[in-house]
Amino acid sequence: MMRYFKVKVIFFFRLIVGIIFIYASWDKIAHPAEFAKAIGNYHAVPFGLENMMAMVLPWLELLVGICLIAGIMVDGAAIMSVVMNVVFIFAISQALARGISIECGCFSVTAEGGDKIGLETILRDIVYLTMSLVILNRQERRLEFFPKSI
Amino acid sequence: MNIRTPLGQAALFLIGSCIIGFGSNLVRADKIPWIAPELAITETLDPTGKSNEPVLTAISLAQAKQLFDDGILFVDARDDAYYSAGHIQGAIKNAFLMELIFNIEDRQSKTDPIVVYCGDPGCGDSEDLAYDLQDSGYTKIYVFKGGWMEWSKAGYPSEAGQ
Repeated sequence: MMRYFKVKVIFFFRLIVGIIFIYASWDKIAHPAEFAKAIGNYHAVPFGLENMMAMVLPWLELLVGICLIAGIMVDGAAIMSVVMNVVFIFAISQALARGISIECGCFSVTAEGGDKIGLETILRDIVYLTMSLVILNRQERRLEFFPKSI
Repeated sequence: MNIRTPLGQAALFLIGSCIIGFGSNLVRADKIPWIAPELAITETLDPTGKSNEPVLTAISLAQAKQLFDDGILFVDARDDAYYSAGHIQGAIKNAFLMELIFNIEDRQSKTDPIVVYCGDPGCGDSEDLAYDLQDSGYTKIYVFKGGWMEWSKAGYPSEAGQ
């Protein structure tokens, strides 16, 4: 019974984190220039590298999201999910600590759809981080298709 | 790279997204440059024209002096110790962004021009502060890239203390 419950929870977490990553990637892929500016506003990326980050990060989110849901390379997807959430939490925290009031650039990067960073943004990312860690440390590997076992 | 191991899979995600991201940027119509461009020094100044569209402009020493003579507000983006040791005459400085914003609000509106400077052309604090002020609603911001180094070397009006 407990084992069955764990399998369901893991799959539910994979579904939630996967959908969130796919949703988050959409607007960024559509508007790379706006996303690059959103990254630049954090003042955490040196040498103008925010443009390269804006090219790669949305696709990474999309791939991780799809693979978490589809059950493909879930370990690698969970590792990348943990890394991304840690980076997001650090970026938002340093901006808040420096008193910078900026758009989050988390889900929408266009001016009409953005939300400001705040404590709730960090808490939200901590929830996603926790879910990702639970997925990474799972014992059950149901509904996973590649690779079948390590 | 063994994609049966978690780290191998993570590496594959990184490599895959780099290939798709860089590749798609090469072919898409609204492609962006690899490196974000730095602010270029402007040719012309229009400090009296009030615009609601955000303008962030880098200026030269001569342009900064012209704006100083026009009575435009200067904001020092350096640390307290440097500001106390010497700064552009009349320049204001606050340790925290919100304090600075209240300080500026007491003097002028958000559409009035502001000049931001820091130590020398290599420091990024003036540009960082300019973006912060722009995010806070200020629409006409000039970044004096030469900063205190060029200003003091030219012997233009300056003062010391808080």
